[in-house]
Amino acid sequence: MRVLVIEDDAEMASFIEKVLVEAGHSVDKADDGERGLAKARSEEFDAMVVDRMLPEKDGLTLLKEFRDAGGTTPALFLSALGDVQNKVQGLKAGAEDYLAKPFAPAELAARVEALGRRTPGQEPPVTVLKAGDLEMNLLTRKVTRAGQKIDLQPREFRLLEYLMRHAGQVVTRTMLLEKVWDYNFDPQTNVIDVHVSRLRAKIDKEFDEPLLHTVRGAGYRLQG
Amino acid sequence: MKFALPTFLRTTTFKLALLYSAMFAAFSAALLVYLYYSTVYYIRAESDRRMDLEFEQLGNAYFTGGMERLSESVFERMTRNGSTFFYYLEDASGRRIAGHFQRMPAHNPDLDVQTVYFEVTLTEPDGSEVVRPVAGRIVRLRDNGGALLVAFDTAQQTAIVGRIQNAIFIAAPIGLVLSLLGGLLISRGAARRADELARTAEMVMGGELGRRVPVRGSGDEFDRLGQRMNAMLDQIEKLVESTRNTGNAIAHDLRSPLSRLRNRLEIALSEPMSKESAEATLGETVEEVDRVLGTFNAILRLARLEAGAEGERVRMDVSELAEELAELFEPACEEAEQSFRSQIAKHLMVLGDRDLIGQALSNLLDNAIKYTPVGGNVSFTVARGPEGTVDLTVIDTGPGVPPDARKRVVQRFQRMDSARTQPGSGLGLALVVSVAEMHGGELILSDGNGPEGSPGLKATLRLPRA
Repeated sequence: MRVLVIEDDAEMASFIEKVLVEAGHSVDKADDGERGLAKARSEEFDAMVVDRMLPEKDGLTLLKEFRDAGGTTPALFLSALGDVQNKVQGLKAGAEDYLAKPFAPAELAARVEALGRRTPGQEPPVTVLKAGDLEMNLLTRKVTRAGQKIDLQPREFRLLEYLMRHAGQVVTRTMLLEKVWDYNFDPQTNVIDVHVSRLRAKIDKEFDEPLLHTVRGAGYRLQG
Repeated sequence: MKFALPTFLRTTTFKLALLYSAMFAAFSAALLVYLYYSTVYYIRAESDRRMDLEFEQLGNAYFTGGMERLSESVFERMTRNGSTFFYYLEDASGRRIAGHFQRMPAHNPDLDVQTVYFEVTLTEPDGSEVVRPVAGRIVRLRDNGGALLVAFDTAQQTAIVGRIQNAIFIAAPIGLVLSLLGGLLISRGAARRADELARTAEMVMGGELGRRVPVRGSGDEFDRLGQRMNAMLDQIEKLVESTRNTGNAIAHDLRSPLSRLRNRLEIALSEPMSKESAEATLGETVEEVDRVLGTFNAILRLARLEAGAEGERVRMDVSELAEELAELFEPACEEAEQSFRSQIAKHLMVLGDRDLIGQALSNLLDNAIKYTPVGGNVSFTVARGPEGTVDLTVIDTGPGVPPDARKRVVQRFQRMDSARTQPGSGLGLALVVSVAEMHGGELILSDGNGPEGSPGLKATLRLPRA
């Protein structure tokens, strides 16, 4: 993917660049709001990472102007102001996702990856999700692996659905909390791990090849 | 040298007292003047009336019996006991016909009726002579040319008026002095109480945060002001105390992870390391830094919460949130080999911020799981509380918190010593309290249902229902 990083702090910018390049993306950088906006308008990117506090033009304004002018490139908002209200503001301004500094490299990589898959408006309506021999029918809510029926609780179903939609990608615990549980707070205990391991017991236990992997220090990945 | 007024003379109350005494003086003066003139007027009118009556009767005698009858009438009146009038009657040539006096006092002979004032010398029964002031009326007799004088002793009148004057001249200054003195006393009293307030404020400013305004219990405005001020000082003291504690606690709590970090990096620098052990060391270092950052985030969050800068309250179904959380935490509880029970009443609404209440409940559930031993149980109930509240209660079967430590554990970084070995920032319960306060609710800690010695903790987040 081609990612535009708009960040004024040079050290932070090169850290982001390094993380994204390691994840296999190519990165373009802009160090103030004006230049970032000009670049986002004139070139094609698959995703952009926008810092909230920028010289010349702050991230919120930049994104609003970009969206108002019809720009559709999915954006991840970065900010040191990690509270919920700021997050809501960022999402309202047109960001697809929000990440508070400081963040773990894996978190950034996973979120940018998830952004790229979005390509808004072009997703064909899917009724069946597939990952390896695992199948999920979104209409009948049936899940099978190698033809064998798997019974899931509603929450487990949603958890698996999210993992399957992001099959092959690393998904962090925070992402799961936000997207599957819609929580913007930290429940502290390893609650997510427990839920994932229960799900894993259901989909992997009786099969030779495990599909749901734990990625150390980052989160989980459902093998695509 | 500049003359300095005593402090209380410059106070507002003294100025008010002064104003009141000036008003009092003006009012008294007006009253006394009115009293004086109306009394004098009454006395004059009364004697005029009696004089008129006298002349009417004498006039009747004159008109019915002429000079002869008049002189008889005058004689009769002169000899009548208890008469207060003096008489004098003369004929047209000015010859004395009858009367108390030897001759008519000086008067204007051209006027028919006139009032005269003069003095007479009277002989008292004991032989002594006294001079009395008299006021009289001289009336010229029609068709005759003679004149009749009727006069009365004004000494009594003068004495009454004089007494009134005396009373006024003595009473007015005394009243003025008294009202001033009263004003001074009142203003000194008020000034002294205002001074007490000022002194307390000064002492608090000087660092004696425990100082309070003395309250007399009289319930007057100074007492009320004092009570408010004391409540304000309590709040300030609490805030200062908590700031001070937080500062110390942050320093204390962050020192150990930072020194661990430093040691690790020192070792990494001084010893040649294999790739694997370097990776492990750096991995641990990152985790340690993350914990420090997590603590900072929690501090910031708490600060924003306390400053009212976070959270947006909407009407929400807290039962629904609780059910989700129960579902979220139950597996973690089972993983820790504890049993989990939840009993959640449906559709209880509160005016709240979903994320903050969620965080607060998570903190309580997380604590319960952390401190409950293997085989113990955690219960989570949501029910109507007293007086239109909803009680969100988490009970564990851990060691519990002794009553005397309950106040402390909800403060920032204040953890029970036994809890120091557990991971956690020491901010969990402080955040719950902040969230509760922000929602107009409270956090109530009490003993759980366990046996003595390890009663467990019952933590109730009580929020007003919407």
